[in-house]
Amino acid sequence: MAFSGALTLSDLNDFISPSQACIKPVEMAKTSETQGAIKVDDTGSYYEVSQDGSETKLETATISLNDCLACRQTNDPTKHRTVVISISPQTRASFAAKYKQTPLQVARKLTWFFKNLGVHSVFDTSFSRDLSLLESGREFVARYKNAVKKGTIKSPTTNESVPTSSEGGDMDVDVQQDVKATKAPRKRIIRRGVAGASDEPAVAVETESAMPMLASACPGWICYAEKTHGYILPYISETKSPQQIMGSMVKNHFGTQLGLNPDQIYHVCVMPCYDKKLEASRSDFYSDLYRTRDVDCVITSTEVEKMFSEQGQTDMIAFGEVNLDPGYNSVIKDPITGADQVLVGASGNASGGFLEYVMQYAAKELFGIDGIDVDKGLGVEVKTVRNADFREVTLQLPGASEPLLKFAAAYGFRNIQNLVRKVKTGKSPYHFVEVMACPSGCINGGGQLNPPGDNHATVPLKDWIGLADQQYRNSVMARKPEENPVLKQLYEEWLGGVDTPKVKQQLRTGYHAVEQNLINPLAVKW
Amino acid sequence: HQDRVWCAAWHPTKPILATCSGDKSVRIWQATNAEDPTQWQCTNILEGGHKRTIRSVAWSPDGRQLATGSFDATTGIWERDEEENGDYECVATLEGHENETKSIAWSKSGALLATCSRDKSVWIWEVEEENDFECLSVLQEHTQDVKMVAWHPNEELLASASYDDTIKIWKDDDDDWYCSDTLQGHEGTVWAIDFSATGEELISASADQTLRIWRRFKPNNSMGIVPTRRGEPIWKCVSVVTGQHERCIYSVSWSKCNGLVVSAGADNTIRLFTVGPVSEDATGRLTEEQQKTLNDPGVLLEAQCVTKVKNAHGTSDINSVAWYPNEEHGDWLASGGDDGS
Repeated sequence: MAFSGALTLSDLNDFISPSQACIKPVEMAKTSETQGAIKVDDTGSYYEVSQDGSETKLETATISLNDCLACRQTNDPTKHRTVVISISPQTRASFAAKYKQTPLQVARKLTWFFKNLGVHSVFDTSFSRDLSLLESGREFVARYKNAVKKGTIKSPTTNESVPTSSEGGDMDVDVQQDVKATKAPRKRIIRRGVAGASDEPAVAVETESAMPMLASACPGWICYAEKTHGYILPYISETKSPQQIMGSMVKNHFGTQLGLNPDQIYHVCVMPCYDKKLEASRSDFYSDLYRTRDVDCVITSTEVEKMFSEQGQTDMIAFGEVNLDPGYNSVIKDPITGADQVLVGASGNASGGFLEYVMQYAAKELFGIDGIDVDKGLGVEVKTVRNADFREVTLQLPGASEPLLKFAAAYGFRNIQNLVRKVKTGKSPYHFVEVMACPSGCINGGGQLNPPGDNHATVPLKDWIGLADQQYRNSVMARKPEENPVLKQLYEEWLGGVDTPKVKQQLRTGYHAVEQNLINPLAVKW
Repeated sequence: HQDRVWCAAWHPTKPILATCSGDKSVRIWQATNAEDPTQWQCTNILEGGHKRTIRSVAWSPDGRQLATGSFDATTGIWERDEEENGDYECVATLEGHENETKSIAWSKSGALLATCSRDKSVWIWEVEEENDFECLSVLQEHTQDVKMVAWHPNEELLASASYDDTIKIWKDDDDDWYCSDTLQGHEGTVWAIDFSATGEELISASADQTLRIWRRFKPNNSMGIVPTRRGEPIWKCVSVVTGQHERCIYSVSWSKCNGLVVSAGADNTIRLFTVGPVSEDATGRLTEEQQKTLNDPGVLLEAQCVTKVKNAHGTSDINSVAWYPNEEHGDWLASGGDDGS
């Protein structure tokens, strides 16, 4: 780019602003106490010239990609720790799709693989997800009730022409999946409207009654919201994600049962994306007392695959199989075949099923409506709006003029944009939105396995996602979170009840807007 | 204007010009006498809508709205009050880009608006009721600052030019927008692009001091050019205009009524070209056989410089040139420069 002679220094101000400063602290030992000068030699290396004239070469500060992704403190490898690994069902599905196994086989093989490496226990985050779902449901119902009390939302009038109490099983509304209408040529719509949205929302929002409630399990979404849309943080659910709940459970419950302190356990999670590494490294999930994190390390599906080759074992089909560990696994004895173990889990799509569960739970708790199944389209209307990554799910009584509950799922950046804009201007018609950063959701996370060979030349991405998605649902029996027998125990023994301070401490979290510091480069003292 | 003029845009139907500037304002100009291009008066000033430089301005195809793209990362939509000499007010603000918005463009139907930014992304918005704009797509395939976006004159096809030396063609496939083709060849930032009247050709201006003309080849064309991987029309460079500009070219405009091309940039000169098929004795043409193997149509068009205006804005860079959009004043040309005029 050639600059013309007329460019002046002051122009720089308008073109380029410095990017957000990296927050990694650079540890540099000060080489001398006294002030020295800095000199640069021909090769561009920096030397500190101390008072007596001697020169010490200064190390260049380096930030590795690993640092950026993990941003974790260096752990002392000499301290022996009990290793626990928690695997996500999306990872399981990814392996099942690629290696053509069933998810149960994958779980058993991964358990065998990790145990051979000396891992103590292998768990399944579907288990902790039950807690996350349950808590999300509870949080939503509490918020809804508060919002009604406050008057920010109107409770739909219940004296409409309501069918008798047998509505439960009778609400078999046909699944209405609207395929996107054939495209008419786009026409311009002009209306004289009100002036555009003002910069900041006028009224401060309180989390305990903020509507809509936005799902919190996706760290990609959380990081983006904290960085760019601080005003939306009060709307986000305070329930921890399945990964972090597993972290709390492993360190503060499982560990106690083994007689170990949290810092004597090394907890690894296997996840479908890289953003989960950022989530694990949040200071909210760090214990000052034991100087340890709830989740010490996150690896992705592809990183596990790399471990296979590092161990010289690339043929997963040839792996051994062992029973899954008792404890935090979602397995029961198969009622049909009598086999020792069959996988169970909450129904819902491959991004965790938050929308499905909260809808079903809220319908029951708030309106006494039973038998809702979003997956099967029972009792609710499911619509695809705009594009495949934006769905609306509405609970409306026949003959009613207003829906009882209106939920949505918004995946992918462009849909997040539209959602955030609507919430900001107060025009969002939803009570709950499941937000995911990746198009198609977690099953298509950045760390999921790729097809063998040259990526997507042979298997188009849409098909590949479809395969993994199929495997996700494959041979996993549906079980509602409240039917998980261990959960009841956990609430009673570990948490001391359903609404105790310990519940808040272990299962809930908070968010922090990132301050944008736009430094004027000319004002910085060099 | 109190600062450099970044962009000049003609109203689609009336002899009205909008210019935007580093002084954070937009000025609307009307000819005092409809036939005389030499006398202009400033009828409106749009201020207070943006916190930083306004880098680009564009009229909607029906002339009722004006979009402004600013370094404050937002795009403003302005409308004029009902009465004849009403003021313009900002009726909507499109947010979302992470940093400076560089260019905005309305599609032919006026139902879509494209914006691009230094954050390397191109956003496509759909116009909804009551001045609500919904984000249809966020396209992040450029590897550097995106300098300009331009819509095809007839179809819903978008082109974007970037600091990464490429031009990308974007299309819609029901669910999302995707990059249909990437035009490589420039050796420097591509600053500006414009389509020909039919939309079969695209001209681009670059920091490498050349203009390039690209032509679209549909599948099964007579020259045997292979289509894109998805089997779609592919764009190939059919002309390179070198040796004319002595510095970066910042703007290019292809008249939709008389076919002339105007370009200007850092060498302070405005140049006019006619574009026509290559004359018989052009050297460097590949034989038919060679063409087929290289999948390159060779040089098919050439641009002849017919006139130039040196130091059109004195010693200042010229940032924008724009042809009058229709035959009514087809020979009128607007230019905006660093001298604030």
